[in-house]
Amino acid sequence: MRKFSFLLLFATLFIASSCDDDTPKPEPAGDIQITFKGNYDGETFYTQKAYDYTDDMPVRFSAFNFFVANISLLEQEDATEETELIDIDFIDLGFDETQTAEAEAGVTVSAMKVPAGTYRGLKVGFGVPADLNRTNPVDYGSGDVLSKTSHYWSAWNSYIFSKIEGVADVDGDGQFETSEGEGLTLHMGTDATYTERILFPSSPIVVDEDGSINLTLNIDLKTLFYMPINEYDVNNDELLDIETFNGTHTDSELLIAKQLMRNFSEATALD
Amino acid sequence: MNNKNLFACLLLSLGVWTGCKEVFSSQDSRLSQIAYAPEPYPIQIPEGLPQFEPPADNPLTVAGVALGKKLFHDPILSADSTQSCASCHLSSLGFTDGKAFSKGIDGVEGRRSAMSLINVAFYNTGLFWDGRVKTLEDQALVPVEDPVELHHRWEDLEKQLRRHPEYPGLFRQAFGIERIAEIDKYLAAKAIAQFERTLISGDTKFDQVMRGEEKFTDDEAVGYDIFFDFTDKHPDAECGHCHNAPLFTTQEYENNGITAAQSFEDYSDPGLGGVNGKKLDLGKFRIPSLRNIALTAPYMHDGRFKTLEEVIEHYDAGGEYGPNVSPVLRPLKLNKTQKRQLIAFLHTLTDRTFVSDLETQNN
Ligand code: HEC
Ligand code: HEC
Repeated sequence: MRKFSFLLLFATLFIASSCDDDTPKPEPAGDIQITFKGNYDGETFYTQKAYDYTDDMPVRFSAFNFFVANISLLEQEDATEETELIDIDFIDLGFDETQTAEAEAGVTVSAMKVPAGTYRGLKVGFGVPADLNRTNPVDYGSGDVLSKTSHYWSAWNSYIFSKIEGVADVDGDGQFETSEGEGLTLHMGTDATYTERILFPSSPIVVDEDGSINLTLNIDLKTLFYMPINEYDVNNDELLDIETFNGTHTDSELLIAKQLMRNFSEATALD
Repeated sequence: MNNKNLFACLLLSLGVWTGCKEVFSSQDSRLSQIAYAPEPYPIQIPEGLPQFEPPADNPLTVAGVALGKKLFHDPILSADSTQSCASCHLSSLGFTDGKAFSKGIDGVEGRRSAMSLINVAFYNTGLFWDGRVKTLEDQALVPVEDPVELHHRWEDLEKQLRRHPEYPGLFRQAFGIERIAEIDKYLAAKAIAQFERTLISGDTKFDQVMRGEEKFTDDEAVGYDIFFDFTDKHPDAECGHCHNAPLFTTQEYENNGITAAQSFEDYSDPGLGGVNGKKLDLGKFRIPSLRNIALTAPYMHDGRFKTLEEVIEHYDAGGEYGPNVSPVLRPLKLNKTQKRQLIAFLHTLTDRTFVSDLETQNN
């Protein structure tokens, strides 16, 4: 009991002191949810569905996932004032055609409270920011998003920021054969590939006190594959030649990985 | 109804009548004379391995682990008192049994190969090859009644444990029970789970090299590069994608192309798909750890490969065709030397001290 009353005293003192005039009153707050939706060429994206990558080469993807980080609301377009929403989270858009409801709904990351007000922009990072990328999965408890050893690559000393996996029917025989080397394993990572995008909705984001709003980000997987034509040895108009570049381990492939991550910026649109 | 039951019934009604005072037998009062002073089990997680949190309602205690260890090795767990957990999970074989399919007490073969229990504490994506059970506490309930394993009945086993000369006292020390009737399958499973969580191994040559205490031989070093693809000097065998350090499994479920299948219906063992009902997950199994892999032949969920050489030949060929084989697999085109080097690296994943310590403790 002794200890308890001592604590109580402390608590009262603390409350008393926090009632000082110069400490801000608790801000009125509304809820914000952020939803990530996967598309392929403008349509809802499904794993295991055959897409025409190019006219003569269908691709069936089996994984599309990525880390998002430093998500915040911006009060002004110049991004001086940021209200942080999400530190880091992992988004897995790998839904197949038996999961249409999930695929169409997208992945919603938890709701958080933000001060009521009018916001002009939304900042989203793709990947794991450098400070967190200094750590590795062993540093985290099993429930943490950063504890995934599936998304850490020791050779890079980096998390794998995003995985795009699938099989392309390269030889055009109607079969998707990993056994023939048709697999596509695009893993992106390392600090240099971390990408941030600021999105400005056509009308400002208004958060009411006790109100609740949802912001939906559409990510188009196909857009990720467009490469600037001069910088890279690609021959398929502007789409990455996935027959040649089907992995991301060698140095030249790492350049591709970097561009794929940068393209998250272009591939992302606010509903 | 025999006399004993009648007496118990009488006592019970008396108990109810006296305002639900608990019924104590004379054995129960002897039980309460045994001290219950739970002492946390000093778990040592080697550098480089992740942390794990035992469930809040089953912290590791010295007495709990000791009880679990005894139960794990005690043939009382089987209907005819001939087999225990340790019959199929032998410490000398990395807690497997060296067989493609394990045989239970009736001599009937199961459909899968026994799994290693080393580092099982860290697994959090489901247990068994197909992930059908979530926790070690739930898992430990299964083998006792499984007809192809211990083929006992918990009801009977609970009775045997209650009338045993030692177990009641050990359950008291481990869980502070006050009445013998409190001994049940759930407490037994908790104790076994506690013991299993202590089976932590992180002192292989690989770990020692990572800590800077040892050096790989030239062959091992090349094998390490082939496994994880650190440099472009050697071919990349893609193993690290699925068998990533430090546990040498990412704990995901994958199809590694061991079974040729034109369609999903061709998978005779449904694996994960049989548990979650998803067609696209048929033929997928939890990626097993490769720690102590040199001790745990034969390999794969059905023990189809007898040696590591056979395993490497499989991966080198790029795997069989199947509708959901992981795209990470592809023909590797390793030459003979490179295959040998990869196997040399796999041999650095054996923790000799762990295995021999257990053997001395068990003798
Ligand atoms: C007859 C042989 C046999 C006996 C006896 C046996 N097991 Fe097993 N054990 C197996 C097999 C086979 C598997 C894999 C089964 C599957 O995946 O369907 C397994 C899997 C396990 C796993 C899952 C490990 C993982 O990584 O997911 C645990 C834990 C386990 N056993 C513990 C026990 C315990 C505890 C006992 C005693 C109560 C026991 N086993 C008795 C054969 C046996
Ligand atoms: C796509 C993921 C994946 C890749 C890449 C992969 N494995 Fe596996 N590995 C698995 C899965 C899944 C199993 C279990 C399959 C089963 O039993 O049906 C397995 C099983 C094994 C086993 C048997 C383990 C046991 O306890 O029976 C060994 C050994 C092994 N792999 C070694 C390797 C090596 C060496 C490489 C690189 C050449 C490699 N694996 C690449 C997923 C993978």
